Amino acid sequence: MAQIKKKKNSSTMVTLLWTLAFFLIWELIAFWVESSASIRSPEKVLPHFWKIVAVAFDGKTINGTDTAIQLVWLNAKVTLIRSAQGFVIGASIGFLLAILMSLSQIIKKIAFPYLMIIQMIPILGMAPILLSFTGDIDSSRIIIAAILTFYPVATNTLAGMEAVEKEKHELMYSYAANKWQLYTKTLIPASIPYFFTGLKVSAPLAITASILVDTLQGGIGLGCLLSQSLKGAMTRYVFWLIVVISAAIGILSYLLMGLLEDAISSHKKAERACKR
Amino acid sequence: MNKKQKNMSWQSLSSIIYPAIFGIVVFVMWQGGLLNILLHTDTNTLPSPSRINSIIMDNQAKIFLNLKATVIVALVGLLFGSLIGYGIAIVAAQYRKWGAGGITLASAFNAVPIVALAPVMNNLTKHISSSVDFRSMLAKTLVVMIVCIAGMSVNAYRGLTELKPFSEDLMKTYAAGNFTVFKKLLLPNSIPYVFTALRISLPGSIISALVTEYFSEKVIGIGRQIRENIVTAQFATAWAYIIISCLLGIVLYVLLLLVESVVMKNRNRK
Amino acid sequence: MDTANTETEILMSDIGMKFNSGPDEVTALTSVSLDIKKGEFVSLVGPSGCGKTTLLRIIADLLNPTSGTINIGGESTKQARLDGKYGMVFQSPVLYEWRNVVKNIELPLEIMGVPKNERLERAEEMLEMVGLKDFGNSYPGQLSGGMQQRVGIARALVIQPEILLMDEPFSALDEFTRERLHEDLLNIWRRTNKTIVFVTHNISESVFLSDKICVLSPHPGRLSAVVDVDFERPRLMDIKSTPEYTSKVFEVRSSFEGV
Repeated sequence: MAQIKKKKNSSTMVTLLWTLAFFLIWELIAFWVESSASIRSPEKVLPHFWKIVAVAFDGKTINGTDTAIQLVWLNAKVTLIRSAQGFVIGASIGFLLAILMSLSQIIKKIAFPYLMIIQMIPILGMAPILLSFTGDIDSSRIIIAAILTFYPVATNTLAGMEAVEKEKHELMYSYAANKWQLYTKTLIPASIPYFFTGLKVSAPLAITASILVDTLQGGIGLGCLLSQSLKGAMTRYVFWLIVVISAAIGILSYLLMGLLEDAISSHKKAERACKR
Repeated sequence: MNKKQKNMSWQSLSSIIYPAIFGIVVFVMWQGGLLNILLHTDTNTLPSPSRINSIIMDNQAKIFLNLKATVIVALVGLLFGSLIGYGIAIVAAQYRKWGAGGITLASAFNAVPIVALAPVMNNLTKHISSSVDFRSMLAKTLVVMIVCIAGMSVNAYRGLTELKPFSEDLMKTYAAGNFTVFKKLLLPNSIPYVFTALRISLPGSIISALVTEYFSEKVIGIGRQIRENIVTAQFATAWAYIIISCLLGIVLYVLLLLVESVVMKNRNRK
Repeated sequence: MDTANTETEILMSDIGMKFNSGPDEVTALTSVSLDIKKGEFVSLVGPSGCGKTTLLRIIADLLNPTSGTINIGGESTKQARLDGKYGMVFQSPVLYEWRNVVKNIELPLEIMGVPKNERLERAEEMLEMVGLKDFGNSYPGQLSGGMQQRVGIARALVIQPEILLMDEPFSALDEFTRERLHEDLLNIWRRTNKTIVFVTHNISESVFLSDKICVLSPHPGRLSAVVDVDFERPRLMDIKSTPEYTSKVFEVRSSFEGV
């Protein structure tokens, strides 16, 4: 048992080492870029990672009122809130649709091919047209985040409900359980791990969507700031800071879903504790 | 014909008929202008299908040019991204102790927003070539490639490591070399996982291609055309490109499913 | 044996079952007539494809026979199901991995609307009976296969059914675990006085456990013999080494037709 724990620790160590290696490679390339004679502005190609960090914690203001990290964080917060709104709406609709599809063959038959098609349609490419529909940049950001969230959640949850063994259905039937009990006691709890698989896929997508829609119109948000920094309105390091922060937010949103899943499924915790 | 058989054929028939009815209803509502009323839009922002169709017909040459640019970026990026991803998976599966951690890191890249990658690649390629055509193509392809690497490496790693119990031991009893084990056991075992990865990365590659076009130096590609036409309020033309991008996604996906069904013909997969 | 209850619990006459129709028609069972007494331990034995599981599913109201009649203490199988007369145990334990052991056993009571206090009390009583008193707070993933199947039995019994329907419940377990569960099942049966219908392909298992063995043969599925087993109860493992036991196993084996 101690061995298993040791093994788990060592795999965390390996991931950590890989992450370090990633940054090491980054720095090496940055050195090479810096020393290359043909590259005139190295900070546009690949700056040192530590320089990005340094800019983040630099006390100097860059637009008169805010320091770099204050400005990025201000915009990141707005982006996060918008994508969270879209994410929650999309996840709820996806979950409800999965239940409807499992309840009714007709709804399932109608919706399934269109769900397949939605997956193949480049929704992000449709961001501009949605903006022209709603006329309001804020609601189109939320809608796009919702559409991107909705599909993985709906299909994964439905797959979870359909993966429930025949015997569990027979068991419920032998207890003369009604539809409501079948869903609340068996199908919905059984689909929770699948539901979270969907959430893990769509959480970073919702953030991507929100940033992308930002770039279509000015205002506040990480994407807007990204466009501005690319146009040279402020130091190039702000752009890099945005790249790093948005990557970090995407990864964190994925990890957060995993933590949330662990928090609500007590049996996993108990089983892990037992294995240790 | 008896009742049960009738039931069976109705079962399969209805899964075509129901969605078809739904599609026709939406189409008729769209063409008849009812959709515009429901969505509170004018015929300018949401033109009728017949008008979109006539625009596609009138601009075939231009649309084809842009379509070609997008398809090349998406497919070349998908191909190289998947190959690199598979290569990473092979190395990781060979040295599992270090490999699993590397795969975890690769999966983290899945969560990096594409929008952040596109400008980075644009800058990176500026110094590689003086040809705008080539370097903007390269930048876009690189983004698509990076997006596809993660999905393939994670799935292929599973395909190369989740083997049937004792199948590796069986190979050992034949004193098979590393390459033979790979050819006879690992490669065939990983094929279903490769298709799983492709089903995710194919739509992903098209989306990434469209999005990177927004940021690229050269004004070409379906995605860029959608955006340019919206900015200039040419909504009908934008819709024509949107329809084309949907068709592209659907056609490529169906092609992938066909290839998959041929390759997997003799396997029963759950 | 004269003290045995003679009241009929399950009465089947001329049961037939066909799946599909037209060219793909499969006859799973033809004219099975059987009468199972209250409190009797009856095994349905046969090779795969003999229809033993189909017959169990007909009793459980999971299938409707295409011909013949069946009644449970005079009422339909559907009514018996609605009255909670059946406890089902499957080949796999079919536990709910997100519920701990007590909650798994409480599940049928929750569905029947039994109040919380009584649920807990009855679940703990069942846990004690199957010998898992200290494992109420464990999750199924933490238990061995044999323990999981004990939970399955406890869950089946907690609703106090009249009939326990068991579909190859021990076939996935190792021999040592299975033998212990045999003895435990017989103890539970003696204490609760249930009617048990037990499906298996293991002849020795059926001889050790049953009062009556129904031998089913395939192609088409039919009842080819009913063998009474009248070894004294309570039975202990030792009887397996007696010549009577061996000859009973042989008698059952030779009743199969067309295998």
